Amino acid sequence: MRTAFVDSLLSIMEKDKSVVLLTADMGFSVFEELKARFPNRFFNTGASEQSTIGLAAGMSLSGLKVFVYAQASFITMRCFEQVRLDLAYNKLNVTLVGVAAGYTLNQLGVSHFAIEDISLMRSLPEMTVFAPGDPDEARLATKKAYSLSGPSYLRLSNAGSPSVHVQTVKNIDTPIQLDSGKKGALIVSGSLLPMAVVIIQKLKKKNVNISLFSMPIIKPLNIKFLENLKTSYKYIFTLEDHNIIGGLGSAISEFIAENGPAVKVVRFGIPDEYLSITGSRDYLLKKSGISADIISKKIISLIS
Amino acid sequence: MTKFVDTKKLELKALKVRQEVLEMISTANASHIGSAFSSIETLVFLYEKILKENDRFILSKGWGVSALYSVMVQRKLLPKNILKTYCMDGSSLLGSATRNSKSGIIATTGSMGHGLPIGVGMALANKIGKKAGKVFVLMSDGECNEGSVWEAILQASHHNLKDLTVIVDRNMWQSFGRTEEVLKLEPLAKKWEAFNWDCIEIDGHSFIQLDKAFNVKQKKPTVIIAKTIKGKGVSYFEDKNEWHYKTPRQEILDIAKKELNL
Repeated sequence: MRTAFVDSLLSIMEKDKSVVLLTADMGFSVFEELKARFPNRFFNTGASEQSTIGLAAGMSLSGLKVFVYAQASFITMRCFEQVRLDLAYNKLNVTLVGVAAGYTLNQLGVSHFAIEDISLMRSLPEMTVFAPGDPDEARLATKKAYSLSGPSYLRLSNAGSPSVHVQTVKNIDTPIQLDSGKKGALIVSGSLLPMAVVIIQKLKKKNVNISLFSMPIIKPLNIKFLENLKTSYKYIFTLEDHNIIGGLGSAISEFIAENGPAVKVVRFGIPDEYLSITGSRDYLLKKSGISADIISKKIISLIS
Repeated sequence: MTKFVDTKKLELKALKVRQEVLEMISTANASHIGSAFSSIETLVFLYEKILKENDRFILSKGWGVSALYSVMVQRKLLPKNILKTYCMDGSSLLGSATRNSKSGIIATTGSMGHGLPIGVGMALANKIGKKAGKVFVLMSDGECNEGSVWEAILQASHHNLKDLTVIVDRNMWQSFGRTEEVLKLEPLAKKWEAFNWDCIEIDGHSFIQLDKAFNVKQKKPTVIIAKTIKGKGVSYFEDKNEWHYKTPRQEILDIAKKELNL
């Protein structure tokens, strides 16, 4: 997904000379080509996230379109107040690109995990929140973020995400349906999309058919889509590599709580706790109750 | 050699600003008169003598904005009758500098440490676009407690932004005490110089010294440390931190009005 983002950005920067990239000292093996092609529009601002956001704001106020790239945890949290005041309140066309979200950096532990970032960004007025599920979605998300007049957060995982969509995705404004079934709907935002596909397959083997949707835009919510959802399904499941508090699951729950009383929402995601051990990303996700096995079994027991 | 500076005219303008700020703050039951008063000579000088069309000014000490509104009205950048809306219901003139369509404020500050990074970004944008235009940022000294300020100082120096000028309103007070009792800043000039900025120290209430400082041809990003008195202009307010918070009322308001020829 990171490669898809960089490719998109390169073509954007080629066409639009007012686009600049700031990175808070990240991008080894990622931005060498960009730096070589656009040397006066690439800035490594160092491990200084707060001032980096201020710089981005100042540049945007001067007419430039800015992308700011750093690890998801640092770019949303270290400088959250700057994101709030300098970008969101001022409604500036600045896109924050947060890489290595969730448990991507599995060996480095909590200091390098981002499991609260969607919650933080979602709470900001004016902020559009993208969590693409595969490279195609990431490409479209980058283009869309660039085209918006206000700020965006683009949450990326760079854990070698495979392409999931068989058909070309043309548009991410409406959640993309990957499978259909009547018993319920599973909505995924972000890098667990491949896992969601496996969940659907496991359910099918047990004759449980539910729909699968990828929702690459968490904020703003597509109300039309949700209205349809609430009349079509009795169960809505959500899946994300983020705390179940404040992310995709919370967003959907908020809507259903007010609008769809006959629908049950079950959030799959990271429980409200920090891990203090390490292991592979799959191991850590499993420790947090996230695996195709665990989740498909839970869905079956809920629906039956 | 600087040209003749009509200090009498500037002092009259500064007096008018003090009168208007006193009026605004007392009518609105607002705070921060001490902070506004210490920066008035700097603001008057910048707007009367220095700022050109392509230049940008950011008031990083956003709570001192009442003085800026008055200065902008004097320069006809805001309509005259807008000052009476200060802090009233539905007003776009807030008690802390807030960007909106009516206030003329370009960057929302008031939370400390935001103005300088934004100013650095503007100066960098000018550099990228090879545009002429200076950037001026007025900060408080207490604001130098914030880490983001020092990050921005590093950034400015790294890019040698010689069209960037910071003025530190060095009135020696912050929210809950004297700066040197809360978190020592001295030697402040040496700190900026260690970060490879040029530094000029002046009496922040002297138009002659402001003139000299602003007319230096900058070779590096430059900070003007303007030594000021919080509450300057009304003897009752001077160097007293309660006027960060309190609204002048009744007898004190009368004393202030008298001292400002109102």
